[in-house]
Parts: sequence; C-alpha cells; structure tokens
Amino acid sequence: MPAPVRLAACECLTPFGGTADTLAALLRGKSALRATPVLGREGGDAVPLALLPGRALDETAPPAWLAALRGFLAPVCGPDWGAARRPVCVTSSNFGVGSLYAFRRSGDAAHTPHGSTHGSVALVRGACGWGENVTVFSHACVSAHLGLLHAARLVGSGAADEALVVSYDFLSPFVAGGFHALKILNADFPAPYCERATGSIGLGDGAAFAIVARDRGDFALGAHALHNEMFHATANQPDGAGFATAFAPVARAAAERGLRNLWVKGHGTGTLEAGRLETAAVAAAFPGARLTGWKGGLGHTLGSCGLVELAVAAAAMRGGRAPGVAGGAAPAFADHVALDAIDTGASDGVVCASNAFGGAHAALLLHHV
Amino acid sequence: MSSDPLITRLKHLIVETLNLEDINPDEIDENAPLIGSGLALDSIDALELVVKLEKEFGIKISSSEESKAALASVKALADFIRERSGGAASD
Repeated sequence: MPAPVRLAACECLTPFGGTADTLAALLRGKSALRATPVLGREGGDAVPLALLPGRALDETAPPAWLAALRGFLAPVCGPDWGAARRPVCVTSSNFGVGSLYAFRRSGDAAHTPHGSTHGSVALVRGACGWGENVTVFSHACVSAHLGLLHAARLVGSGAADEALVVSYDFLSPFVAGGFHALKILNADFPAPYCERATGSIGLGDGAAFAIVARDRGDFALGAHALHNEMFHATANQPDGAGFATAFAPVARAAAERGLRNLWVKGHGTGTLEAGRLETAAVAAAFPGARLTGWKGGLGHTLGSCGLVELAVAAAAMRGGRAPGVAGGAAPAFADHVALDAIDTGASDGVVCASNAFGGAHAALLLHHV
Repeated sequence: MSSDPLITRLKHLIVETLNLEDINPDEIDENAPLIGSGLALDSIDALELVVKLEKEFGIKISSSEESKAALASVKALADFIRERSGGAASD
C-alpha cells in the first residue's frame, strides 16, 4: 500500500473566526446562526444564516467578503503558489453568484466583473498573487472534497511537490432564496440527526485552505472516496445506497490500516430524510463510531463545508475533544449520534463526510501519521 | 368531473403549471398521490407547484414536510388551501 499524502496545514474561516475559535465556540455549544431576512435588504422570511461579523447579506462591489478572505489567506499568498509544481485548486459551489444577482437587481455594472466563476477566481487569485497554475473545481457541496482529492492525487503521483486547496462560499440573497424556495431553509433552526416534525437547515459563510504534501504534516489523508448516485437532482436513493457506496472504500482502508477507533464528522444539514439515511449508513459502515456534525452551529457553508469542517476535525483530533452535534437535542435518530462532545484522545482517526445535490457523496479518512 | 370548483381549478392549475400536455385535468384522480406514484411528479415539479400555489392563493407553505403533506393529493391540497385561507378559496 503506498504511503498516503499528508495534510500539512488546514485552516478555516467562519463567523466565529479562525479554526481555533471555531472549535472552541462549537465545544461551548455556541451557534453563529441568526434569524436573518432571506432576501437581505429586500426582506422576506427570517431564516437562520451565519454571516461573517459586520457583513450584510447584500453584495457590494467589489464583494465585501474579499478583504476578509484575503486576510485569512495571507499565509498562502504569493507567487510560490500557482507555480508549476505547487498548484492551487480553488473550489466553491457559488463563487461570485451574489454579484450576478446584485447586477440583475440593481443594474449596476460594477458587480459584473466578480460575478462569473472565472471572474470570481481571478479576483481571489489577483488578491493573493498566485501564479498561473490555478484549477477551478465546482460540484455543489462536495466541491472542496473534489479539489482536495485532485490535490492529493497530484502530490501522490509526483506531479506536484505540494498543492494548495482553497475553498470559499459566501452567502447572498440568491443562494439563500434558492434554499428557501425548496422549503428546507425555513424559520426553524437546524438540529441535525435529531427527531423533529420539520427538517430545516441553516446556511453560513465559510472559507478554508489546506496544504497537501508528501512528507510534512501530522495527519495522513488515508482514503478518499467520491461517488455520485445520480438518482435525482434533489433526492437520494431511498435505500441509502449512495451513502454506503461512498463509505465502503474508506471503511475498507481503515480496516486495512488497523484503524478501529474512529469517529465520524458527518454532513448533517438538518433535513430529515438525508439525515436518517446518513445516520444509518454510518452505523453500517463504521460500527461503534460516534457521529457528529456542526452545521447546526456554523450553518451549511456549501461548497466549502468539506474543508471548513476538515479543519475543525483536525483541530479536534489534536485537542482531544470534538464538539457534539451542534444544535442537536434529544431524541436523536440513533444512539451513535453524539449530542455531547467526543473524546478524540484515543481515536485512531476521523471520517469526514459531505453530500450534495445531484446525489454526490464524499468521504475522507484522516488519521495520525 | 368533481363538483368542487376548487378541486377543478387545482387540476387545471397543475396541468398548466407543469405543462402536462398529455393529461386531461378532468382525468386526474383527486385522491391519487401527486408525488412519486399517481401523477408521478418529482421534487422539482413540487417546487414549481408550491411557488405557483403561494402566488395564486396567497398562502404560505413553510417547510418541505408541509409541502409533502399539502401535495399528498389534489383533495389534500384543496383542504390545505381552504384551511390556510380561512375557506376563502372555495371558488
């Protein structure tokens, strides 16, 4: 078995702050979600959103989130990244769509340069001073996993010395309005993996970066699976087969490496049907593993969630305690759902999962080197 | 054909909103499931229909679970609309 590539760095930006602040806030049971008009200045129903401090939902030109993102990415700015053997993978599910919406509503052409995918990435790349070797990935809410897997393959195959993965998703009335139209973003605050009459999600601003390397870092990317069940645009196979298929190679790799004491950071947006399927699939693939999820405190950070939550999971492994289900309350779907904190001190590793519209699933095994 | 004008109106609204060209509104069974079996509408159809219903009848459907319950059948939908509009949507 070839040696897995390593996670040399992984940091996130959430409304709580950086990785350490985010982990601490979640461990204290805090939530960044606030009841916010779904269409920003145009009003609408109040729904749970988690925005960066001081940021309004409405878009400015240039986007108000850019300064915060540039500051967060300072450790990975400069022309060393984006060079031939140090590629950058940029991932998002929405890029600058908020700017497109703002242009559509206001007619102000100042929004247009930031609105397209390539325009948004060019904006970030310019702000960070990266070289030309920048590749863009987008596949809804598994976008970050897609970029991370590509980066790992580049490094693992020797095509790159190290790779940088950057993911960002900042909310806009367009995105919030879309989820609201689907009725899964509603007035209720999310309680992932918990029995309730009504399922609900929250949405959040999020960004993260990871550096993948061959020989530095205290964690290995032990296995990484992506699978698209292609059952329906907004629904999973009712038997949960999509989740099981994504988990299987990760469970196999964990067994092969003798990693038995695992915990699972699930996707868990707070919708009932997918939450039940994921809960059951986790129990089947990783017997005895406790399941937690943090979107009840951070909101769903969309395409960046895989990397945002990976940063928190890695920090939780280092710190010895992982937050229980954020926003969760008894009764949970099953006994392995962790409504309280998980002791990670003796754990062999964590499985980080994300799911997306279109039936896409991702699962990643992170373990100590 | 149903003698309930709201049910008749809903059948026509469903066909028109979802462009169900091969379906005669009068042939829709008011008790048959709308989603999955029966008319075999999917979640995207449901989304379109909910947006239309909220505009047409001035009602609010607040969650996906409520949406599923309201769209259980044409009759269930009629009952839901009457309940939400205080009986004002009978004609």
